[in-house]
Amino acid sequence: MKKFLTVLLVLVMLMGIVGIASAKVNLILWTKEGEEALDWNKSLIEEFMKANPNITIELVKKTNVEVLREDFLTASLAGAAPDILWTVSDHAGPFVAADIVEAVDNLFDLNMYVESAMDAVKLEGKYWGIPISNGNQLMLLYNKKLIAEAPKDTDELFAVGKKLTTGGNYALVWNQTEPFWLVPWLGGFKGKVFAEDGVTPTLNTPEMIATLKFLHDMKFDAKIVPPECDYDAADTLFKEGKAAMIINGDWSISGYVSVLGDDLGVARIPKVSATGEWPKPYTSGVYFMLTKGISGDKLKAAQDFIGFVSSKEKQLEGVKLLNRLPAVKEALEDPLITENPILKGSADQMVVGTPMPTVLEMRCNWDSMKPEMLAVLADTKSPEDAAKLMQSSAESCIKSLE
Amino acid sequence: MEALTAEVAVNTIKELGSMVLYIILGTIILEILVYLVLGKIFKSKYTLPYMLMIAAIFGLTMLVIYPIGYEVRLAFTNMSLRHFRSYTLSWAQGLKNFGLIFSEPVLKQIRFFPLLFRTLLWTAVNVVFHLAGGLGLAILLNRQMRGRGFYRALLVCPWAVPQIIAVLAWKGEFHYEYGFINVMLKSIGMQPIQWMISPFWNFAAACITNIWLGIPFMMIIILGGLQSIPLEFYDAAEIDGASRWQQFRNITLPLLKPVLTPAVVLGIIWTFNNFNVPYMINANELETTDILVTALFRAAFEYHRYGFSAAFAMIIFIVLFIIASVYIRITHGLKGAYE
Amino acid sequence: MKNKNKQSNIYRFFISPSRGDSPFKRMVIHLTLIVACAIAVYPVLRIISVSLRPGDRLLSTSLAIIPKDASLYSYYRIIFEKPFLLWLWNSLAITITTAFIGLILASTSAYAFSRWKFPGRVPGLFFLLTTQMIPAAMLIVPIYILAVKFQLINSYRGLALAYSVSSVPFSIWILKGYYDTIPRELEEAAKIDGASQMGTFFRIILPLSTPALAIVFLFNFMMAWNDWIMARIMLQRENMFTWPLGIWTLAGQFRVEWGAFTAASILVAVPVMALFLYSSKWLISGLTLGSVKG
Repeated sequence: MKKFLTVLLVLVMLMGIVGIASAKVNLILWTKEGEEALDWNKSLIEEFMKANPNITIELVKKTNVEVLREDFLTASLAGAAPDILWTVSDHAGPFVAADIVEAVDNLFDLNMYVESAMDAVKLEGKYWGIPISNGNQLMLLYNKKLIAEAPKDTDELFAVGKKLTTGGNYALVWNQTEPFWLVPWLGGFKGKVFAEDGVTPTLNTPEMIATLKFLHDMKFDAKIVPPECDYDAADTLFKEGKAAMIINGDWSISGYVSVLGDDLGVARIPKVSATGEWPKPYTSGVYFMLTKGISGDKLKAAQDFIGFVSSKEKQLEGVKLLNRLPAVKEALEDPLITENPILKGSADQMVVGTPMPTVLEMRCNWDSMKPEMLAVLADTKSPEDAAKLMQSSAESCIKSLE
Repeated sequence: MEALTAEVAVNTIKELGSMVLYIILGTIILEILVYLVLGKIFKSKYTLPYMLMIAAIFGLTMLVIYPIGYEVRLAFTNMSLRHFRSYTLSWAQGLKNFGLIFSEPVLKQIRFFPLLFRTLLWTAVNVVFHLAGGLGLAILLNRQMRGRGFYRALLVCPWAVPQIIAVLAWKGEFHYEYGFINVMLKSIGMQPIQWMISPFWNFAAACITNIWLGIPFMMIIILGGLQSIPLEFYDAAEIDGASRWQQFRNITLPLLKPVLTPAVVLGIIWTFNNFNVPYMINANELETTDILVTALFRAAFEYHRYGFSAAFAMIIFIVLFIIASVYIRITHGLKGAYE
Repeated sequence: MKNKNKQSNIYRFFISPSRGDSPFKRMVIHLTLIVACAIAVYPVLRIISVSLRPGDRLLSTSLAIIPKDASLYSYYRIIFEKPFLLWLWNSLAITITTAFIGLILASTSAYAFSRWKFPGRVPGLFFLLTTQMIPAAMLIVPIYILAVKFQLINSYRGLALAYSVSSVPFSIWILKGYYDTIPRELEEAAKIDGASQMGTFFRIILPLSTPALAIVFLFNFMMAWNDWIMARIMLQRENMFTWPLGIWTLAGQFRVEWGAFTAASILVAVPVMALFLYSSKWLISGLTLGSVKG
């Protein structure tokens, strides 16, 4: 027994010494991606490591963005944070407030990236992330077999919709449980969730009430949507051919392409007839973020890797694999995008979108809008009451952030 | 993709093996310390029991006492996202935290006392149904009949299924279009229920799930208790002309009490603190379905109000403590255990 | 009816005979039990049926248990395309270690509580009870910080240690209750014959307590096997995940891989339920140990 212990001890010490001897740089990258995007993560890292043998990047997959956010905060608290994050723009708010990420102004050439993508991570006058892909916007996806052309405005939507909604089939499906699907329409009614200063909520406005009323009517008067519909239900109905149109985001495109193939059409969400405005879905994207305090060899390695992913070649690779729009200006003008109808439709929608606010207070807005939106869609509250409650919830939430 | 290979398996065994060695080593050191200090220096006659317990004491200190201490300290700070690295620690801040719990909404709209009331309602509803269901089924099973073992095996299923799986499965069944309850309602011509949007029905859904989960436990305990009541009592009572109901009230219930009381106390504690069910059934994060512990979790991890939620946690613990103590006092239930 | 049963007294002791119940009453009882069983089992059957459906479709309005186009594809996928076996191995390794360590810690400590009235005994028992009342969310952050300090994150050690200790309070209560029912005369007699205190523990108490020890082992096992929240804190790399974490990753933010999720659930739940049912007779006696005197 004793001998075994001694041998074990010696082995462990030897391994430790060997570990210190090689001057490798080891980076830890947390990613929020899954499925195909995760595969792209892995192939990028593999390729990079082959070209740079003294750098190893360890990829840690986080189940979803909520998990990544919670884990990053707890890890930072304990001093066990990773080096780089591959995550979404709205994490900038909480991470900047907690002072656990680095500003990237002086670390990269920011001019090569699309402006709206950079604006999304601009807080307190500095930039906090490097965009990888751009978009994440909602758009109107339709099944050409069921509806030849997308409606141009909401009046047309209702008219066509009524004809299509019969016998278990619906004209339009969308995730009725998340306010992310409400904000495009709010934009179409010329409303915004924040005032000019970007931190004061403006939820109790005539525009919000008009939006809520519109969504209510779409469900109860025009009756072109299912009575209760979450993300899964919408997705399934569209894939099964029981829904002619779906409002969903660019992340879902590849899934629909594999089921519908050429029958998939992409268009802008129809203009709001009452105002003549195109709805403005939020655009955001996937970004690199650097942990605060990263320096020396690790910082250089990180810069190299991020530069590698920002090359035009890799950006276009991402477009081909994931149907996401690139964040690098050069790549956006490539014919690969301008000549692909689906990507063109997606880019079309993005152009009328608006960058998603990423300030810390935005969380309060999301959380306040959600239950009230649900109540209006359940017909348990009037749009006026809902808007009032939204505002008061957001205000008390913001107060508690102090 | 990570897979189970021989290499991985060997690694695991090596790691766990070395851990066990370390534990043995550590325990021996602790034992020697206790022996020397208590036995030789203090010459205490209680050296041996302390030696027996020292490892467990050490473990519990690390896993329970230190974290509680940390949380108590945290309750006196204003640590949150804005004050993540540098925060103020003071008595005043602590008092402020405790005051905020009662005066301001804990999450977006929900306040403390409605939350407390809802938690009590949740506990009462669940425990009552657990007891009633468990008692009823145990009485039915406590008789000689065919298929007894078969029934018992099936009725224990809700307890045997791992809780996460059961809860997520039930959540699926409360889906508006495709859950089996609504499908059955529709097939008999009734209106389907909006389980996930309506506050009342969502709370009901959580209760239904938890009741389903909790009845087998009570049933098994009561069955055990019933089976150890000597038959002679019933025989004697029958000879004296007592009715079934009288037998139940005067023999069964009193003799079940020593078994029931710890079970009910545990049931109250576990239900009060039940996190999985109200959290996961609440697909749309309706604040009206939150009970104290789920609100605590959200305050800490979704709103990042670490200092505030530490204070909140202390309050929750004190409340539960009072409830449990009162119940135990009233029923003198745990007298035997302390002897 | 009474002379129909030429049974031993022990059998009569445990079963209350149905004294002359009418067939109608018996039928009603059976019916009630059948309905109760159906309610108890139906959700599990639904999980089975979703796992047999091709494609990730939880959502379908058919209530058939075995769908028309049933396929075992989800099972295949779960075993070969996801690290499901790895998760099971992780769970198994951690859980077995936990159950043993926890049992050892608890059996010795419970003996101390049972046989000595040392200072701090009653507060100690009280403390053990109150540990059950602590909301788990309260402990997450500090335990994480502690684990990072001791480098116990993402390792089998960390989680095994955490599980071992967290099952100790409950185990001590059960074992102490059982030890209390073993008369001290047995130990006295052995000591007169020259055995030491610890000798009586190993040679008399432990052998007599095997049912209770088995139950404690079982409880520790089940608690560690099914736990999600502690594992979530301590394990952050997917190759270390135990099966609850693994299953949870199949339920992504928007897209739930229902086929894989339910197939994995069935593969995990079935052995657990089998183990449970097999040991259920012990569970009945275990939970009433020590609380019914005589």
